[in-house]
Formats: sequence, structure tokens, C-alpha cells
Amino acid sequence: MKITGLKMFLGGDGSRPLRKQLSLTLAVVFTGSILVVILLLDQLFGWQAKDLINQRSVFFMDTMLAVRQYTSKQVNPVIAPLNEGGGAFRPEAVPSYSATTVFEYLRGSKPEYKEYSYREATLNPTNLKDKSDTFESEVIASFRSSPAQKVITGERNTPLGSYHFVARPIKVTSQSCLVCHSTPDRAPRSQILAYGDSNGFGWKIDEIVGAQIVSVPQNTVFRAKRESLLATVLLLAAVFSAVALVANSILNRLILQPMRLISKKAEEASVTPSTVSFTEKNRADEIGQLAKSFERMKQSLAISMQMLKDRQKP
Amino acid sequence: MAWLGFVNGQHKGITTWLALMGKACLLMLSLLLASCSGTLNTGKALCGPNGALRVGLIDPREGLDASSQQPFANQDIENFQTMLAQASQCEVRLEPLRSTDRARERLADQEWDVAFLPPGLTAFALQQSAGYSPLRVLSVNQTSRASILVLASSRFQRLADLNGARIGLLRRGSLTGFYLPLYNLHGLSLNQVTFALNYTALLNMLKDGKVDAIAWDNSQAPASVPVRSLTTDTHKIPMGALVLSGALAKANYLPFLKSLDDSSGQMPAWLGYAATILPNQQELQPLKAIVESVESWEMPLDKQPHRVFGRKVGV
Ligand code: HEC
Repeated sequence: MKITGLKMFLGGDGSRPLRKQLSLTLAVVFTGSILVVILLLDQLFGWQAKDLINQRSVFFMDTMLAVRQYTSKQVNPVIAPLNEGGGAFRPEAVPSYSATTVFEYLRGSKPEYKEYSYREATLNPTNLKDKSDTFESEVIASFRSSPAQKVITGERNTPLGSYHFVARPIKVTSQSCLVCHSTPDRAPRSQILAYGDSNGFGWKIDEIVGAQIVSVPQNTVFRAKRESLLATVLLLAAVFSAVALVANSILNRLILQPMRLISKKAEEASVTPSTVSFTEKNRADEIGQLAKSFERMKQSLAISMQMLKDRQKP
Repeated sequence: MAWLGFVNGQHKGITTWLALMGKACLLMLSLLLASCSGTLNTGKALCGPNGALRVGLIDPREGLDASSQQPFANQDIENFQTMLAQASQCEVRLEPLRSTDRARERLADQEWDVAFLPPGLTAFALQQSAGYSPLRVLSVNQTSRASILVLASSRFQRLADLNGARIGLLRRGSLTGFYLPLYNLHGLSLNQVTFALNYTALLNMLKDGKVDAIAWDNSQAPASVPVRSLTTDTHKIPMGALVLSGALAKANYLPFLKSLDDSSGQMPAWLGYAATILPNQQELQPLKAIVESVESWEMPLDKQPHRVFGRKVGV
């Protein structure tokens, strides 16, 4: 019942003019397809947005690694002698400090980076601000238990909402790290004065001591997805409207205009068939066929009328 | 029967189809709404200039050695951070510090938006150049008195005898271990200044003869070796405070403060957060003058000679 109703509605049951029927049919079909497209793209763009954020996060972490390396190799040798003096500790020599500082600048450089945050969460940190919380400790523990694991991504719920994060392990790769992170008496005295001697020590070579963690609010993922989706939908709507307009004018030119003409001539022909000529009969299409049929009908009508007249003559 | 089943199946198909379309319509609606309303939320959030709220937290008991420093227990800090995030509605970067020296730098560079400070650093933060304003009292049981100790057997009798002596201090920014002793040593030329992390380390240095005199806080357990005090500072020591950076003091911080007040019961007890009590700026004034004086002098460097010299405001 319903299905046939829908079919009649879309296919036309002759209850409205063709033009209206076409517009109606197209509107329904197009809206339906836009809705279907939304459903599919919602999934697709969700994956895409997350993928972009993951890629960007990994890129950030690689960059931070490079900054760390630069600091270790080129800045530390210059600054280290300063830290042997009696002045305040210069953290510029610390790879972790330069990485987190550079990231802050990066964050400030573009609005779309502002939502990213970077942490070097560590089980036993030098700076207590880097102390891993319960959740981060679990991530680090899973890196420690399976060293082959290189990246962990996932969602994290906080009182401020849900976050998407990407984490990678931080490994003590070089002996140079142990100057500052093994025992307090090896570390520069100024570092001890600045950070104390009770944490951030006892690290071992090749140990995974923490994790680089980039996190982004889930809202950002949703927003990126929504923006792509909205753009696509608006585009589709525009294209569909154009198609509908064109279809309408084609319908008009191809069918409706000639039909109206023919129907006017047919009306005339019903009164004075001899004066009317269905010129469209030379066309090769269906309109031509219709015109031919009318032409034949007109001729038979003319003959019949002639016969009637002849019989009436006494 | 089979016919009925067919119809049922078809019905089911139609209902799921309708449900899907409904979902799509909702999505469409949310799209339009989101695009109209633009960026939503955060009228009430209190955030720092770079997005996150940077919070400094200083151990209120200066100069204790690490073994007796319970405050920064993991869970305490984590809960505290969560509480701050809920109060500010902003991502919180909590930096717990034992080093008054680093805290001093942080405050001077305005790298904290909010900070929980002991009295000396509160005075430092309230200086014009740092530009913080005090919001709440941190009332820690305060029995501190700064004095300067020498060994009982020492040849030094009066403060003035310390000219040319080697002296041990706590790190820059400490009240009883740095500001007050230096203030009292004004005018002397010291042969060497050595910094230590805590009073136990200072006492050991004194005992081992590495320094001639040390800064001391009388609220510490009595020294384990026979010592003598050359001078005891008589300035009244006010309470520490929760302070807010100049930039944030212009924002609407009242909801944040109210939320902190409401949840003060869950704050770590050692913090001494006193809900609804505004710090008395008058009481802080003398300490501020002392800190300002000492800060305007040249800073002593570790293991270097130092002349305690500069304009001294008498209070
Ligand atoms: C000059 C001494 C020094 C060297 C060399 C050094 N670090 Fe550090 N490291 C520090 C200090 C100081 C901090 C705290 C920095 C801050 O305030 O954020 C730190 C912080 C860190 C942190 C963040 C967690 C924490 O402890 O606060 C990690 C991870 C880290 N370092 C790893 C390394 C690795 C890996 C190397 C070797 C490539 C290395 N460090 C070399 C002194 C050093």
C-alpha cells in the first residue's frame, strides 16, 4: 500500500502539472540522497578528522624529538659551563625544557594548534609538573611492559570533557642524559639547587621513563568533522538545485512548449481543420509522432466533414 | 501467515529506514545549528593567555628535608588538579615546586596565572614588577622566626663579626632562609655564600666547618649540635596567600574563587586554604618592604663572595 503510494507520489498520478510533479519528485529524491550521503560521510569524515589529528600529533612529537636532539647536541655544550657557576640554573640546556617551550610557541602560532597540548609525562620526574597522573602512568606502564609498542592512541575522559590522545614512549637513549638523571652528585650543582635532589634521579640507560603525550579535545575532532560535512552538504544542495532548475527548463523546452502549441492547434483543428497545419510532424522525436497522429486525425476529420457537406447538398 | 510475516519484515525495514533518516535529519540540524551559533561556551572559564591555566604550588613549609616532605603525594596533587580544572573550567597545568628559587623566577616572568605561595614569595609576587594580587589566605600554623646560628664554640659573638665569614643560606626566595637573614646581614662583606636545599643540610655544613654561620628557622626541631644564635629576627611573619596574575585579575575570577571556597574541604590540609578570607595587605606591607629591599640588591651567587649592600628600607 505504502510503497505503491510512494511510487504514485514520486512517479506522478496525473493529479498535478508535469512541472510541479518533476520539481516534487526531484526534491524528494535529492533530499533523500543528501540524507544518505550525510549518514555515510559522517562516518568517513569522522575517521578522516581523527586521522588528520593523529598525523599532526605524530608530526609534533617528531618535531619535539628533533628539538630535544638539537638541545642535547648543540645547546647543552654551550650552556653547561654556565650551570657550573654559582648563578641560577639555566634550563635552556635541558632537552625537555626546550621541547615543551618550543611547543608553547607553536601553540601560540596558529589558532588551530591552540587546542593541542603536549606533555612529557614521567613516572619519576625532575620537575613535578611532569609527574604522570594515574591515567598516564598506565600508558607508560604498557609501554614498559611491551617495548615493541611504539604508539598508543585513545580517548580519555576528564571533568572538562573527553580528549583524544596520542602517546609515544620516552627512552633514555644516551649516556649524556645520565649526567643529570642518574644520581644527584653527578648533576650540576645549580640543577640540584633549582630542582632538589629527591626526584628525577635513578634513571637507567634504555629505560622507558615516560611518554610524550599530545592531546586534543574530542570537540575539536567533532568540529573538524562537522565543518567538512557542512561544506559537502551545502555543495551538494547547490549542485542539486542547479540540476533541478536545468531539468525544469529542459522539460519546458522539450516537451511542455511544443505540447501546448500542438494542443492549441488541435483545438483550432476541431473547428476549421483545413486552416491548421501540424508543422511539428517533420520532427523525428515523440513530439513529431504526436504531430503526425494529429495531422492524420485532422485529415480524416477534414474528409469526414467534406463528406458530410456533400451529402447535405441536394 | 507467510504473507503476514512478509508484511512484518517490510515494516521492520521501513522503521529502520525511518530511524536512519531521522538520524540523518538530526545530524543535518546539528550541522546547521553549529554553523549558526559559531563558537559556543566558555563564558565562565578562567584561562591563561595561552589557553591553559598555569598554576604554581609551593610547599608551604620551607627548608624541610625531602624525607619529611609529604605534601606532594601523588593522589593529593592529582585530586587538587582536578578540583582546579573544575573550578576554572579550563585545562590546568599544575606545577608543584619545592624550589623557592624557581618559583621566584616563575613569578618574575609572570609564567603562572594562579599561585599558592608561602609568605615570602607572596610578598615577592605582590611587588609592582610581578603584579599579582592576593585573593585568599593560606593559614599554615606559623611559628617561624629567622635567626643566624654559629657553632657554640665559634669565635663570632656579634652579627658584625661575620664580616669576611662564610655563610650558608637556603635558596633564593626562601623567607627565613634567605630574605630575612640577608636583610639582617646588610652592610657585611661575606667571604662566601653557599646555598643548601634544607636546614638539615645547612646544619651539617656548619658542623663540618664548611661555613661559619647559617640561616636558621626557630620553628625547626632543635639543632643536634651545640649552637648559638647571633640574632633572631623580630618581624612578624604574615600568612601565605593564593595570588592571581594581573591579567587574570581583570577577568571575572569570582566563579573560580567561589568554586574553590565551596570545595575547600577537599583541598589538601597542608595547604591551609582559608575559604572567604581575604589577605590583609596591611600586614603584608613590612615583609613586602623587606623583600623589595633585598631583591633590589645584587643577588648572591652560590660559592661566591658577596657584599650585602644596597638601599635598606627600615621596617
Ligand atoms: C643539563 C642536565 C640534563 C640533561 C643533559 C638531560 N636532562 Fe632531562 N631534565 C633535566 C631537567 C632540569 C629537567 C626538568 C626541566 C623542566 O623544568 O621542565 C628535565 C626533564 C626531563 C624530562 C621531563 C620529565 C621531568 O623529569 O621533568 C624528560 C623525559 C627528560 N628530562 C629526559 C631526558 C633525556 C632522555 C635526556 C638525554 C637525551 C635528558 N633528559 C638530558 C636535566 C637534564
